[in-house]
Amino acid sequence: MQYKDYYKIMGLSRDAKQDEIKRAYRKLARKYHPDVSKEKDAEAKFKELGEAYEVLKDPEKRAAYNQLGADWKAGQDFKPPPNWNEGFEFKGGGFTSGDAGAFSDFFEQLFGHAGFRPADKSRYNVHVRGEDSHAKIHIDLEDSFHGATRNISLSTPEMNAQGQVQVKHRSLNIKIPKGIKAGQHIRLAGQGSPGSGSGQSGDLFLEIAFNNHPLYRVSETDVYLDLPVTPWEAALGAKIKVPTPEGNVDLKIPPNSRQGSKLRLTGRGLPARVPGDFYVVLQIALPPANTGKAKSAYQKMQEELDFNPRQALGV
Amino acid sequence: MTPMDSDSHNLSLVHTGTVIEEDSLTLGQLCRACGVHADWVISLVEESIIEPQGEDIRLWRFSGASLIRTRSALRLQRDLGVNLAGIALALDLIEELESLREQLKMLGPT
Repeated sequence: MQYKDYYKIMGLSRDAKQDEIKRAYRKLARKYHPDVSKEKDAEAKFKELGEAYEVLKDPEKRAAYNQLGADWKAGQDFKPPPNWNEGFEFKGGGFTSGDAGAFSDFFEQLFGHAGFRPADKSRYNVHVRGEDSHAKIHIDLEDSFHGATRNISLSTPEMNAQGQVQVKHRSLNIKIPKGIKAGQHIRLAGQGSPGSGSGQSGDLFLEIAFNNHPLYRVSETDVYLDLPVTPWEAALGAKIKVPTPEGNVDLKIPPNSRQGSKLRLTGRGLPARVPGDFYVVLQIALPPANTGKAKSAYQKMQEELDFNPRQALGV
Repeated sequence: MTPMDSDSHNLSLVHTGTVIEEDSLTLGQLCRACGVHADWVISLVEESIIEPQGEDIRLWRFSGASLIRTRSALRLQRDLGVNLAGIALALDLIEELESLREQLKMLGPT
């Protein structure tokens, strides 16, 4: 088990006043809140922060934690000294308001067990439906185009009979329906938390997100592809092969197409009752002038064409 | 059956869920999915943080996007102590930020 330096996590000195701790928490919570932050590991940092605050905001837990001494380094292998918390009484058990399942082994070893036992509801003949649970899953764009079966792994914090929180892993094969969009949910009845007594299990809600695709970008049901073309294909028009998630298609580039022109293939976006469209965005690629032939071709254009791209700038 | 057998049986089991289409969740389903009281969801509707289809409360139908917003609202209130007006503002700004990030991504790597 690794020692956690709660003061370092919150960027505070060991003699910080209680109101400083609160201010530091507010500020960092806004910075790392998973709904707001796009920092990498925001979620892990937010959990760590919540745990640090859970200890430092409570004068009793803080005093007990301080008693461990200031010589520990974060990450150092840690065993609590015997009877380290003698004389401390933690009101309402270890966990007060935080998200218990998210806390570290370190926290649990120090404050974890008392007052945090799973209630033996069946003893009172209570039959309660289990809670619904949520997860976000990332699928490939192709899965939505063709429909697919995907194996997903889920980890859920659960309490064992000793009241310890353990992360339980399980995997599920699920059917990805054709045409599903990012941000949509799939509900799996009865796959949420188990109920107590004869209560039913809750449902599992899976929110869909797409993995980044090397070729395509998706917006709602429309799919975009950047297509490199030569200057002569754009200028003279051409028929070229274009990849789409449903296979290659022949696309006609109209003459005098410009950089960034969008060509639409109606109905070739994500499948749906009203299917999305597929957009090809032209990217004109210039051939390098690295041979005598190429240079003379550019020189020829220079001589033959009366073209000033800076006309609008007045020069 | 040995445990091995039951595992391999489970591995071949494929779950087919239902897709939550636009406006398919009732008030009760939304509350249960988020683990919150109906009163709190009603206050979100009053603050127009989420907007159900249907005139009467019994006919309210919520979208999957409402589900995402309700869960974010819950976290903002619980973790940061934001009030309803603040939640409404934060969620709108977060969504605007996300759509701008999305547009930035559409412009491709620069």
